[in-house]
Amino acid sequence: MVIDTLCNQAVGKDVAVVGLYCDFHAQQDQSTTNMLGAMLKQLANREGIPEHTREAFQEAKTEFGGRGLLLPDMVDILNKTITSLPRLFICIDALDECTAKHRRELLESLRRIVRVSPGTRVFLTGRPHIGDEIVGCFGKVHQIPLSPTPSDIKSYLEMRLGDDSIPKAMDDELRADIMRIIPEKISEM
Amino acid sequence: MSSSNQQVTGNINSFNNIVNFIADIDTEGRLILQWLSPLEPQKRHQAVRTDRLDGVGNWVLETGEFRKWSDAETGSVEQVLFCYGNPGVGKTYVR
Repeated sequence: MVIDTLCNQAVGKDVAVVGLYCDFHAQQDQSTTNMLGAMLKQLANREGIPEHTREAFQEAKTEFGGRGLLLPDMVDILNKTITSLPRLFICIDALDECTAKHRRELLESLRRIVRVSPGTRVFLTGRPHIGDEIVGCFGKVHQIPLSPTPSDIKSYLEMRLGDDSIPKAMDDELRADIMRIIPEKISEM
Repeated sequence: MSSSNQQVTGNINSFNNIVNFIADIDTEGRLILQWLSPLEPQKRHQAVRTDRLDGVGNWVLETGEFRKWSDAETGSVEQVLFCYGNPGVGKTYVR
């Protein structure tokens, strides 16, 4: 997985990796502020809580008995935190699963972050239709179309056949058919 | 993926250390982390990792696009990489 690969490469180096998942079922909780806050939490666990974040917390606590952060404040805190990092990877999965409003805000916030911090890299996954929004926001981006390779499909099928709870129902011919026909059908999709 | 045990240990140390660290952070620190966000993406990450078949989708990491994006010196390339595909092709598991 990308995030684990990046983490492994990062061990012993001055590189931080943060990861977020968007989910249809959690759209309410996944406000842009909460998403960016989750990145800060991950960074705080790696680097400790920066002094400016403590100060912002103390300030918010005294107002209305403890206020939440607004999006511009959150972006500001993130930018302050990131400037001390030579290289940061931000990985966000399933960007198409957040609401259109959250996605717009999130992309705009990321745009502000990468502009301030040229060492930051952003990895996004999603369905093809959000590509235009991403390009519209960042200008040029790297793009990789994903589809399982025949060898991906074969290793997955072998794993599933190995897990078969009724192995007696399987014979060599059926197994060979499965291994031949399913990858063929998928490559036609 | 030859040294998978070693790798798993490394992964746990690097990404899921949030659990260990929270125990070390002072009371105010814990309040600050809660104040920053209620989300805990490392839980989902752990679930995906457990569920994943090793090696599938690794070709993405070998592509020129990926290498250019991840290795290039600061400021010399586009900073954003978008991997796209239809539902079910395995986007989450590549990530």
